Amino acid sequence: MKLKVCGMKYQDNMEQVAALQPDYLGFIFYEKSPRHFDTKIPELPDTIKKTGVFVNEDLNTVIENINKFNLQAVQLHGEESPFYCNMLGTTKLLETPVEIIKVFSVKDGFNFEVLKEYESVCDYYLFDTKGKLPGGNGYTFDWSLLNNYPSTKPFFLSGGIGLDQVTDIKKFKESNASKYCYALDVNSKFEIAPGLKNVAILREFQNKLGNNTMEENYNVDEKGYYGEFGGAFIPEMLYPNVEELRQNYLKVMAEPDFQKEFDQLLKDYVGRPSPLYFAKRLSEKYNTKIYLKREDLNHTGAHKINNTIGQILMAKRLGKKRIIAETGAGQHGVATATVCALMGLECIVYMGEIDIARQAPNVARMKMLGAKVVPALSGSRTLKDATNEAIRDWINNPVNTHYIIGSAIGPHPYPDMVTRFQSVISEEIKWQLKEHEGRENPDYVAACIGGGSNAAGTYYHYLHEKDVKIIAVEAAGLGVDSGESAATSVLGKEGIIHGCKTLLMQTNDGQITEPYSISAGLDYPGVGPMHAHLAKTERAEFLSITDDEAMKAGLELCELEGIIPAIESSHALAIFKQKQFKPDDVVVMSLSGRGDKDLQNYIDYFKI
Amino acid sequence: MNRINQKLQENKKLLSIYFTAGYPNIDDTVKIIQDLEKNGVDLIEIGLPFSDPLADGPTIQDSSTKALKNGMTTEVLFNQLKDIRKSVNIPLIIMGYFNPMFQYGVEAFCKKCQEIGIDGLIIPDLPVDVFHEEYQAIFEKYGLINVFLITPQTSDERIRFIDSISNGFIYMVSSASTTGAKSGFGDEQTHYFERINNLNLKNPQIVGFGISNNETFTAATKYAKGAIIGSAFVKHVTNEGIGTIDGFVNNILNG
Ligand SMILES: Cc1ncc(COP(=O)(O)O)c(C=O)c1O
Repeated sequence: MKLKVCGMKYQDNMEQVAALQPDYLGFIFYEKSPRHFDTKIPELPDTIKKTGVFVNEDLNTVIENINKFNLQAVQLHGEESPFYCNMLGTTKLLETPVEIIKVFSVKDGFNFEVLKEYESVCDYYLFDTKGKLPGGNGYTFDWSLLNNYPSTKPFFLSGGIGLDQVTDIKKFKESNASKYCYALDVNSKFEIAPGLKNVAILREFQNKLGNNTMEENYNVDEKGYYGEFGGAFIPEMLYPNVEELRQNYLKVMAEPDFQKEFDQLLKDYVGRPSPLYFAKRLSEKYNTKIYLKREDLNHTGAHKINNTIGQILMAKRLGKKRIIAETGAGQHGVATATVCALMGLECIVYMGEIDIARQAPNVARMKMLGAKVVPALSGSRTLKDATNEAIRDWINNPVNTHYIIGSAIGPHPYPDMVTRFQSVISEEIKWQLKEHEGRENPDYVAACIGGGSNAAGTYYHYLHEKDVKIIAVEAAGLGVDSGESAATSVLGKEGIIHGCKTLLMQTNDGQITEPYSISAGLDYPGVGPMHAHLAKTERAEFLSITDDEAMKAGLELCELEGIIPAIESSHALAIFKQKQFKPDDVVVMSLSGRGDKDLQNYIDYFKI
Repeated sequence: MNRINQKLQENKKLLSIYFTAGYPNIDDTVKIIQDLEKNGVDLIEIGLPFSDPLADGPTIQDSSTKALKNGMTTEVLFNQLKDIRKSVNIPLIIMGYFNPMFQYGVEAFCKKCQEIGIDGLIIPDLPVDVFHEEYQAIFEKYGLINVFLITPQTSDERIRFIDSISNGFIYMVSSASTTGAKSGFGDEQTHYFERINNLNLKNPQIVGFGISNNETFTAATKYAKGAIIGSAFVKHVTNEGIGTIDGFVNNILNG
């Protein structure tokens, strides 16, 4: 059932409620209402239909307001005639057509016969309680009256719906009366004051109602935490930079302009949507259904570019002129250098001195793309130190510089922002899988985890779907107990790294230790806070894969499917030897990158 | 009264010195503290080394890496300091990153500080709001002063909030930088110091970052109650060892 939140009055509150992604937001254009809408509507995601509520209003005024506020639906709350509805539905004065919702106040003895005349002139009915003023009365009516509903037109159920009705709504949903119930309409029971909605209670309502959704919240909360993980543990010197981003990132991402440019670049430049490929021979071998999400086919060869495209557009909107980034294997460095070239912005990439030596081709790529590669000479001279150096650079350049973090890590809002940019992965999986299998939800989603950005994007739209199991694959290096490993969920303890509280590998004294994996993209001593939360709540199953297991799985994919995977992705592929799936299980796996960058590693390992 | 508050009441400009514990040698800690006090330093910041010191420049990073290699840990430092109050009376502040304290246990850490006679803490990556919500009560219970940083980019509103949470002094970072940068004190700093002066904060301010000699010390303390020297001192012990602390301090104070 869809959700409409009605009676929005305050702009900030509109944004907060929009973040919960209801299907409709209602604005009351009726002066006598205490929720009378008299301001502007901020930019809202396209998926939310802006609905104007009118009471016996002059038709021209309605049309003007529809055009002015770009409304997608109109809810008629007075004694508007079928003729009136028809005029509204057919007028040429509207820039784009609107959905017409006609309201009827239901009380004992309501005569459904009156609907007949409206059948052909509106899109939905809305059944409300009769009260002194139209709408927002806070009373429910006897929903069993709808057993006599004679129509097949979908309707909104309204009138005093609140948290207390969750059980009744669930019962109603199972009854015959709800057969044509399309949406719930809520208003006064979720308010702090008339027109000011209580976001926490709305969220609780959404959580409690969803029968296929989880009660626990796996997304970031208002304070920037995933359960107990996350936050922004940053020196005061970074506060203005991070705070500027925190205040703006959701707003900017919701701008239609921004969305349009982002989508366009993902399509034309990155080459999205990336295919969802049914790996037939691999599936046969492991006797289950394996789909590969082909992020390896993106421009620059990995998922990393989804994030750098998003962040470069963000940086531009924030007026930044200089871009910095950290990189381990060089994939994120290349993806950052690429988008900087695309946008003509200065680019500085920090890279551990040891990684520079190990990853020469990517260093050359970054240079060709015009980036300056600065060696990180401190500490262990690998990814974690490159990240430290990038953060230090940001401290020294607080005004003109944007730091493009390469994974779902760092201080809030980075983990959430990166996750949202990467969430295009699971957004596509949903419709692609529907085409293949007739259903949006697989039985499993699986991905490898370094910091966790490809995994976060692969899980995002499934986090709260109860029937989808989540598998996270970490690098065990030479073995979890060998002392040479990067299996953070097993070896890590709660702590603070690079500005967030998460699981990280450290000594008893709280010094961060150096991880090891054959794959440069997975040897990070922490995981993103979202994944720490998924591990702690056991929402995700964490598996560890050794160097040897990964390398063999990589070669197997070459032989069975003709695809050379990045060694990071090979870790995910290796789970089929560790875990038995059922023949009709659908497993969607993120193939996060291609193996070109790892050729030397494969050559050395297999003595090719 | 906490030794820091007592010191702040003295009618003079204060010199605070930072050093990294366990550097150059693991057992130098007590001797450095004693020498600094003897030579007229007013406050001491004992750096608890961390593997990933985000807010520090190369000098303090290197000293931290070496101190850790030398075997410095939270436990070792506490052991070295256990009798420190028998020989010195100078206010002592531990400066370190949050993770080692978090692993030790914040309450256990604070309790130990009180036992030893530590007066305050500076934890650059523990944000003021998290401190306020989760740890302030613990700090107060053990009589510890927590010192917060402000920078030229910190808004007046936030500075007032920080002032309201502070009960010792405010660490005024001279410019947007990591430690050890040569910032000099130009118009921008003067402007910033005047802005802070005009806020009439309840806590005095001590300036840090970019102070390395008598000239910068004098410039910084024109507006502030005192100044902090870190990287320059660490460099001094790197080059000269810990035998000539008297000369270093004398140079700063008297040119
Ligand atoms: C191909 C590929 N997959 C996965 C990763 C790991 O990063 P994340 O966990 O952020 O997806 C990397 C990082 O460099 C990578 O290049």
